[in-house]
Amino acid sequence: MSNLLEVSGVSKSFGPVKVLKEISFDVRPGEVHALLGENGAGKSTLIKIVAGVINADEGEVRLEGKAVRFASPREAAAHGIATVYQELLLFPDLTVAENIYLGHAPKTRWGALDWNAMRAGARALLDSLDSPDLDVDTTVGKLSVANRQRVEIAKALSHDAKLVIMDEPTAALADADARRLMDVVKRLRDRGVGIIYVSHRLPEIFALADRVTVLRDGTYVGTKPIGEVTEGDLVSMMVGRAIDHLFPKVDTTPGETILEVKNLSYRNTVNDISLTVRAGEIVGIAGLIGAGRTELALTIFGITPATSGEILIDGKPVTISSPDDARRLKIAYVPEDRGSQGLIRPQTVRENVSLAILDRIARAFVVDRRQEGSLARQAIERFGIRTRGPEQRVKQLSGGNQQKVVLAKWIATEPRVLIMDEPTRGIDVGAKAEIHALMSRLAGQGLAVLMISSELPEVLGMSDRVLVMRGGRIVAQFDRKDATPDAVGAAMTAAKAGASLESAPLGFKGAAAL
Amino acid sequence: MTLVLNRMLRHEVILGVLLVAALIVLAGQSEHFWTADNLLNQGRLMAEVGLIALPMTFVIVTGGIDLSVGSIFGLSAILLGVFWQNMGLPLPVAMVAAILVGGIAGLGNGFIITRFKVPPLIATLATLALYRGLAEGISQARSVRGYPDWFFGLGQGEVLGVPSQLWIMIVCFVIAAFILGLTTFGRTTYAIGSNEVAARFSGLKVDRAKLLIYGASGLIAGLAAVIFVSRVSTTRSDMGTGLELDVITAVVLGGTSIFGGRGTVIGTGLGLILMQALKNGLALSGVKGDGTIVVIGAVLIAAILIGNLLSRDGD
Repeated sequence: MSNLLEVSGVSKSFGPVKVLKEISFDVRPGEVHALLGENGAGKSTLIKIVAGVINADEGEVRLEGKAVRFASPREAAAHGIATVYQELLLFPDLTVAENIYLGHAPKTRWGALDWNAMRAGARALLDSLDSPDLDVDTTVGKLSVANRQRVEIAKALSHDAKLVIMDEPTAALADADARRLMDVVKRLRDRGVGIIYVSHRLPEIFALADRVTVLRDGTYVGTKPIGEVTEGDLVSMMVGRAIDHLFPKVDTTPGETILEVKNLSYRNTVNDISLTVRAGEIVGIAGLIGAGRTELALTIFGITPATSGEILIDGKPVTISSPDDARRLKIAYVPEDRGSQGLIRPQTVRENVSLAILDRIARAFVVDRRQEGSLARQAIERFGIRTRGPEQRVKQLSGGNQQKVVLAKWIATEPRVLIMDEPTRGIDVGAKAEIHALMSRLAGQGLAVLMISSELPEVLGMSDRVLVMRGGRIVAQFDRKDATPDAVGAAMTAAKAGASLESAPLGFKGAAAL
Repeated sequence: MTLVLNRMLRHEVILGVLLVAALIVLAGQSEHFWTADNLLNQGRLMAEVGLIALPMTFVIVTGGIDLSVGSIFGLSAILLGVFWQNMGLPLPVAMVAAILVGGIAGLGNGFIITRFKVPPLIATLATLALYRGLAEGISQARSVRGYPDWFFGLGQGEVLGVPSQLWIMIVCFVIAAFILGLTTFGRTTYAIGSNEVAARFSGLKVDRAKLLIYGASGLIAGLAAVIFVSRVSTTRSDMGTGLELDVITAVVLGGTSIFGGRGTVIGTGLGLILMQALKNGLALSGVKGDGTIVVIGAVLIAAILIGNLLSRDGD
């Protein structure tokens, strides 16, 4: 069978970081080809190259046998490649028909928009997607997420797409809607369209895909017909590597329990969570995006105070209704989004490092500049922050160094409990190892560390214990020795627990990304 | 350290140069401009706007705005008369009470903004109407006159040859500059304006700080109102209409970023003096009122453009 799309030897670097290394794969007409990998494995970059958003540094993309190099997504669309992105790119105030034909609307002889042709065309496209219930004249803003997605797919088809790329299309959908979307995908396939389907949900991939390609850390792991693999195989292809090797985890003997959480809930995002973290222990929380991990951290830290349940420090119940309370109780939180939650970016390293302990380095409310300066210099030295000095603004630092500033700010409060949310997201490999070494050293000094991470190798490599969250609950718990990629991965995706498609509600992450 | 000072004070230096230039030009235009009498009198006239501009600097540094200060000013002025004449309170008590009402009105703004997450622009636009309406309802279009002589010492008298309200303004100016520039509260104010979420995530008491700042804004508006009543010897409910625009102009002219996170009290002081000098100097040179407004608008735009150009270089 001839290939619709062939990608061969594609590499891409952002600055010094090589995010794709010689990737090759192909898509046949009438095939659903699943693309699988952890966060940061390079799926999005690969998709963007195929869709013409960015160009590859090396390698070749061939469409129907001809080498192509798109200057823009528009050019890719003209060649029959359409992309349905995770965050829908529709205009809420325009109608369904207008959205579908935006940019390539049919025109009359006089150059005016041909509204009748536009509406008829939109109608026909939606009918072909088994959506006769969708009115082409309603504005998109009034539609549900699932219906918007159908509009987005119709928009893709209006370009006569031969290849449709779908980036986590079901991430924001409830069960029934996800199933309906999958029917639509099958219809597309039956019409001979090639589909690249990115999803974290293994059951979905088994229900839809013909073949699956796995990426890991920007490298190609393999392509398999779906009939030849099990879910366990896919999970170990995604994460399987000598994990321990990369992470400088020091063995510690955990001390007394410092943080204990009993039946903690916040509305419907954190459900009945109980956990303990002991001095010197790193407890990792694994889970997919939307599993409620960040929401749990925000509840413990007092940003969204608990609606029920108990938090105990040293066995004594405490009330945490604001981050200020948490800070007083020696709880520190290094948030997942450095830029918007962790740092005052226009301010200097000095001002950022002292932010959480301003009252302590002040005499009668006056900030002691000298003490502040020496605090900043100590932090720069201790955490290895690469900066011109305490007076450099943090927005000029690299991601890894910014993260060290956030960490320095919280370590200055001399915390006993350290919650780290995605501690190495968007950080290059070298700085990653430094942060991991710091984390390990801090635990060694008796801190109780609670680490949230979407990178399974990080969770497995750094944690003494691993908790797995799904749907706002803790669904599994592993000791370090039992925490294999297969077992944790299975618990995250519920592969073993009755392969049902479950909904990942648009939680805090989705909202924060906007 | 000089580098830091440079960065902090760059706008203030530009403004200082601009101010000196304006003073020289205006002095050349009219011989009455550069006289001690005129300058001290101008100090008296700008004291009310100057006082309110101090907490307004804090408000704008947090990324907020307070449009209701003119209305609070009117409300406090009216209540001073009502407390004293209609309710028969001793005048000193009435003065304190009127100022406190201003503070309560300001706390009301802060409460609406922090508790219900209403954007400051909307919240204070609403209370601008609300407080003015209260003032008019209470006054029933009657004015209050006949204050005792000693009361006029505040708005018309002098201490050591300098108008009394200028002393009050200078003291408040020093206190405000100290708080914003050197204290933990000042740091919190800047942090809120630069990134409120990160400030909250760092355990700073964001809501408390905002509440205090809006409360202070109302309190000082009340104080300015009492001074104003003493200066003009009468009380009317439409006092302070449009005052907020003069105040905000002085603050923004002084280099405080309307987006928050940047600004100093010294800048506000310079902005205030520049604005008042232009008003007075142009009037003395025979320019009509509308012409003066045009010039002030042009200077405001120029100062902001220059500031933006330089701050881009700074990064």
